Amino acid sequence: MKKNLFSLLLALGIIFYFILTPMILNSPILRESSFTTLMYIALAISLNILMGFTGYVSFGHVVFFGIGGYITFALLYYYKISLFLALILAGIFAALIAALLGSVVLNLRGAYFAIATIGINEAIKSLVNNLEFLGGAEGLFFNMKIYKSYGGPQNALWLSFYLLGIITIVVLIISYLIKHSKFGLGLFAIREDEDAASTLGVNTKLFKTIAFMISAFFPAVVGGIFFFKNGSIDPGSAFSLTKSVEMIFMVMLGGIGTILGPVLGAITYDKIKETLLVSEAFKNLHLTISGIILLLIVLFVPEGIIGFLRRKIKVLKNILD
Amino acid sequence: MKKYLSIALALSFAFFGCLDKKEEKGNKQSISETKAKTASKDFIVIGYTESKTGKFATESREQSQGLKLWAEDVNKNGGIYVKALGKKLKVKLISYDDESLKDRVQQLYTRLITEDKADFLISPYSSGLTASAAVVSEQYGKVLIATGAASDKIFKKGYELVYQIYTPASRYLKDAIDLLKEKHPDVIKIAIIYENSNFAKSVATAAKKYAEEKGFKVVVFESYDPGTSDFTTLINKIKEKGAQALIGGGHFTDGQAIAKQVNDVKLPLKMLCILVAPAIDKFKEIGKAALYVSGPSQWEPKVDYSPKTYPEKFYGISSKEFVEKYKKIYAKDPSYHAAGGYAAGLVLQKAIEDSGSLETSKVKNALDNMDIYTLFGHIKFEKAPYHGRQEGHKMVIVQWQEKQNKLDKEIVYPKEASTSNYIPYNKKF
Repeated sequence: MKKNLFSLLLALGIIFYFILTPMILNSPILRESSFTTLMYIALAISLNILMGFTGYVSFGHVVFFGIGGYITFALLYYYKISLFLALILAGIFAALIAALLGSVVLNLRGAYFAIATIGINEAIKSLVNNLEFLGGAEGLFFNMKIYKSYGGPQNALWLSFYLLGIITIVVLIISYLIKHSKFGLGLFAIREDEDAASTLGVNTKLFKTIAFMISAFFPAVVGGIFFFKNGSIDPGSAFSLTKSVEMIFMVMLGGIGTILGPVLGAITYDKIKETLLVSEAFKNLHLTISGIILLLIVLFVPEGIIGFLRRKIKVLKNILD
Repeated sequence: MKKYLSIALALSFAFFGCLDKKEEKGNKQSISETKAKTASKDFIVIGYTESKTGKFATESREQSQGLKLWAEDVNKNGGIYVKALGKKLKVKLISYDDESLKDRVQQLYTRLITEDKADFLISPYSSGLTASAAVVSEQYGKVLIATGAASDKIFKKGYELVYQIYTPASRYLKDAIDLLKEKHPDVIKIAIIYENSNFAKSVATAAKKYAEEKGFKVVVFESYDPGTSDFTTLINKIKEKGAQALIGGGHFTDGQAIAKQVNDVKLPLKMLCILVAPAIDKFKEIGKAALYVSGPSQWEPKVDYSPKTYPEKFYGISSKEFVEKYKKIYAKDPSYHAAGGYAAGLVLQKAIEDSGSLETSKVKNALDNMDIYTLFGHIKFEKAPYHGRQEGHKMVIVQWQEKQNKLDKEIVYPKEASTSNYIPYNKKF
């Protein structure tokens, strides 16, 4: 128990650091950069619930980010309901879609599942492209007035940040609770050998579907916050496959199936990119350099940061998770 | 080896940790520095993001090169005169890569405003990214000159400080329809096919509305998916419905394919007017299929916008001068993105000079009342409800014609910019 709790507390500490520093210093720049970091953390943890715990690699996970973004945006745009309610509805809707899709695609395994999820993302992108009331290919744009009910654009940006902070904490705790529950044990069993798990009495179909739903709920809420903050949404940015790949990469970089891993993976990935992007010396070469750094990490630390630290430093072996 | 690696990894974490702290310190300092800086200002700082990587890289680079050329020109002349400060201030451009993604646009614009102390902002390339940047610029009360963003939707949203350089999508094909009406009064049935993408869709929808107002009957109005390369079914439908003119398209590849396939089946259209593709030089690679295909363009190197054409309200260098300067540095003809970039700088310069100040409210006032001609054409901004949308600038229409057995891109509309006469498309069959 000590081992598990340490990682959770450490992860919480890191997340609180990113929430509190911009708050205390009242710094918009820190808020903006922490927003991106927290967004990546939340996305990576959500994906880890499916990918790390259950062993299903979803290449199209960004689809839920997009769905959540669109539902939140449309609810605010047409019905002017409160942001909080819209976000929760978006999450629930995405989870229901995940249940529906899951009943079909979760029967597939390995590469077939990965390909199917890419297909789903592309199909939903095409669908949204053709839905007039969602703005079609052009997308929807907020009127600045919408931010007035949240105290103007400045407050709205802070509000988005706090909401994201809360969601990140919630998803971390949920991920921890799942990992240390009987349900989590069932997921691990599925990951190791689905047929054996089934024989031993694990209701694999139900377990997988629930994991898929949970890992769809949070990206949807994050998507809702992200596009609320951006004031516009279009299919290209809502269903971008690059983000899916980034999510997978962050999970693998940190340590697949661990609690702290996705947090560290997301921070490392984001900070490398951000630092290079704004540094005087590297800003024109940032992709090359971040590519090299990431390649080195993958080559020499394939087990992720957590695995690496556990292997190298004996003290950490028993407390990092 | 592995020992070193673990040390390196630990160090890199420490490094990123330190960076955060540095940033905090920098931020604390900056508040006191701001007050000191305004008193002794040496530069006008203009911030923007460029898509150095990702899908907008080509267009965005051109745009940025145009802007840089403007900054060089200004600085060569000692800067922009700011009456309130009683001196000329040089221009300093600061930019970051937005990777053609929404993810960091707001982060980078916040940085430009708060850390780099940008006085004015230029938009990223594309309407989507501009919309993200506009939320931040409005929040901090900074003027944002939007070039490379043709959407109308941004300007319906109550932004007070965003100003558009390009002709908006709603007027993109308006001139083509006017030209069709003028040259072929007998044409009634037309077809519009468009790529199902952000930009092409808004252009096509507006074109349909305008065409119907002008008395045309739009017999085919169909979209196709991005990446489509076979248009046989659509062309057959156009033939079947008896359309006499075809307008539409989306991006380069599909536009080129439409021109080629219409030519292959020898569809005797009076006019074939395609978005984007004909305005790009590479279009001539399809040989004779390109002949007499026309298309709208924001600007062309061949246009003659100079103090001679608009003696009273002309501002800045002539289009010819711009083309020469650009060619000298970048060894190629500037695209309209580049001209748009230069024009964005000019508009800002003019507004600063007119207002004699760097204050947002005064510069905004000058922009609201602006009515000038530049190398890019007419610049005038709309008032509410579409505050900041471009209403002065007009598209030009280009057509591929044959000069001494070689394909040549000519401007056929409007009259004041034209270099040749318009020729009906079916003349080649």
